[in-house]
Amino acid sequence: MALFPVISNFQHDFVLLLLPVDTENTMDEVAAAAAHHSVGTRVAPQPDKIVRVRRQGAGDFFPRDVRLGETDVRPMETLEFIFCDA
Amino acid sequence: MALLERAEWYDIARSTNWTATYVSDADLFPDVMTGAQGVPAEAWEVYDEPYKTSYPEYVAIQREKDAGAYSVKAALQRSRIFEDADPGWRSILKSHYGAIALGEYAAMSAEARMTRFGRAPGMRNMATFGMMDENRHAQLQLFFPHEYCPKDRQFDWGHKAYHTNEWAAIAARHAFDDLFMARSATEIAVMLTFAFETGFTNMQFLGLAADAAEAGDYTFASLISSIQTDESRHAQIGGPALQVLIANGRKAEAQKLVDIAIARAWRIFCILTGPSMDYNTPREHRKQSFKEFMLEWIAGQFERALIDLGLDLPWYWEKMIAEFDYQHHAYQMGLWFWRPTLWWNPAAGVTPECREWLEEKYPGWNATFGKAWDVIIDNLVQGKVERTLPETLPIVCNMSQIPICAIPGYGWNVKDWPLEYEGRVYHFNSEIDRWVFEQEPERYRGHMTLVDRFLAGHILPPDLGGALAYMSLQPGEMGDDAHGYAWVDAYRELRRAAE
Repeated sequence: MALFPVISNFQHDFVLLLLPVDTENTMDEVAAAAAHHSVGTRVAPQPDKIVRVRRQGAGDFFPRDVRLGETDVRPMETLEFIFCDA
Repeated sequence: MALLERAEWYDIARSTNWTATYVSDADLFPDVMTGAQGVPAEAWEVYDEPYKTSYPEYVAIQREKDAGAYSVKAALQRSRIFEDADPGWRSILKSHYGAIALGEYAAMSAEARMTRFGRAPGMRNMATFGMMDENRHAQLQLFFPHEYCPKDRQFDWGHKAYHTNEWAAIAARHAFDDLFMARSATEIAVMLTFAFETGFTNMQFLGLAADAAEAGDYTFASLISSIQTDESRHAQIGGPALQVLIANGRKAEAQKLVDIAIARAWRIFCILTGPSMDYNTPREHRKQSFKEFMLEWIAGQFERALIDLGLDLPWYWEKMIAEFDYQHHAYQMGLWFWRPTLWWNPAAGVTPECREWLEEKYPGWNATFGKAWDVIIDNLVQGKVERTLPETLPIVCNMSQIPICAIPGYGWNVKDWPLEYEGRVYHFNSEIDRWVFEQEPERYRGHMTLVDRFLAGHILPPDLGGALAYMSLQPGEMGDDAHGYAWVDAYRELRRAAE
């Protein structure tokens, strides 16, 4: 368990944000933490969608249940948070 | 006693090059300080400043200018212009003074470097006057806001800003240190006077003086006009320096200096002037959008200046012009959302009427920036102000020191432009900012952004309160909405009517 800062680039938001998360967090938990700062503040909620996580520019999303510490994501890497069909 | 006409003695009087005998020429004028790039002293003697003046003429004119600015101020001291001005206008004044006043003082040091190490006698002569100009500008722009301190504590930041780690102050210092505090005489001539002053501040000050008169603030209008007339003179130091560099086979080096300086000046100009023109200036006083202003005065005029000199447009010119459509809207949203971190109160500038104007000037605004503002407005209408306040830090560009941001909503194009250098990953707002870093990484690599400092444990406690304390923002100084959210009433009315 260790604090792990990443950069949130949330779909439809206007700015990159510092996102302090934890190596034990799953991608769904990381997405929820990112959504806290963007959805309902500057991004309209989309209740019928889920938010998936990918590297900036990547085509594929990380599996939803993979833990951050199990990936090769580096601290302060920019992750994209994208609304997807559930 | 009959005096000779200036034209009869000027050239010989300012021919002040001599042959050093006690020390070598290289010791007297080290290349690291002159930035002459190996162009010999004789080649610089053709430097011909387009504006010529003598010391007695200079003093007489400056005395008149000072008397004009100070007497307008004294005459209007008891008027209620300040109290009656729109709060958005007062915010423009506060942001201007804090960002510019001590920058002028720094520019005085830069002019002094040209005075001492300029390779051309004409450059040294012009810079002597430029040095005194900048001193006058610093004094004026510290004295005028000082008057307002008893009325509004945020005006204290006219002096205080540069002495703090407030993020916008870090951004201004980083850019100005790069453009003119840590440069040679020739680089200063090109980057400060040609790129920054001819390209941006001269034009900005013309526009700002007109806006001040339109807003009824004749004190500020006369102050800015007084400064602008100095700028238009000493900004001419750079042109002849570029001509000498180009004529002596240094075009590529000159072009690079110009390209770096314009890139850096554009960021400062974009965050300071863009939101001022399109959001803080009350709708009824806006004559032009920021984009129209940029296209007409900066892009149009500056393009001609570059081409006349035999330079090319910077490689990123089209990319920069594309940013006229969105970058300052993104900065405005950041300034307003992170408003407790400012020394002024930003106006939201998004009333229904303002949004109509924004949509007309920037087609698609409502589908992009408007979408993000819709969420903010919903929260304000519902009384959830806490949802419109920051809970984390934005990522700051390793070049501009300004948050990395772009278009939200349906045109979402926000992107990090990272670069790994010597094991450290740097983050940039655009390809242009990253390119500047790549030109001289060893110059920029050691600097820590506010976010870097936060992660390194310099900001304690590690939360917003700690960050505000780190930035020296005291209660009563932190920014809030300029109009106390009164503009939200229009949306409450619209919602009631819709129900």
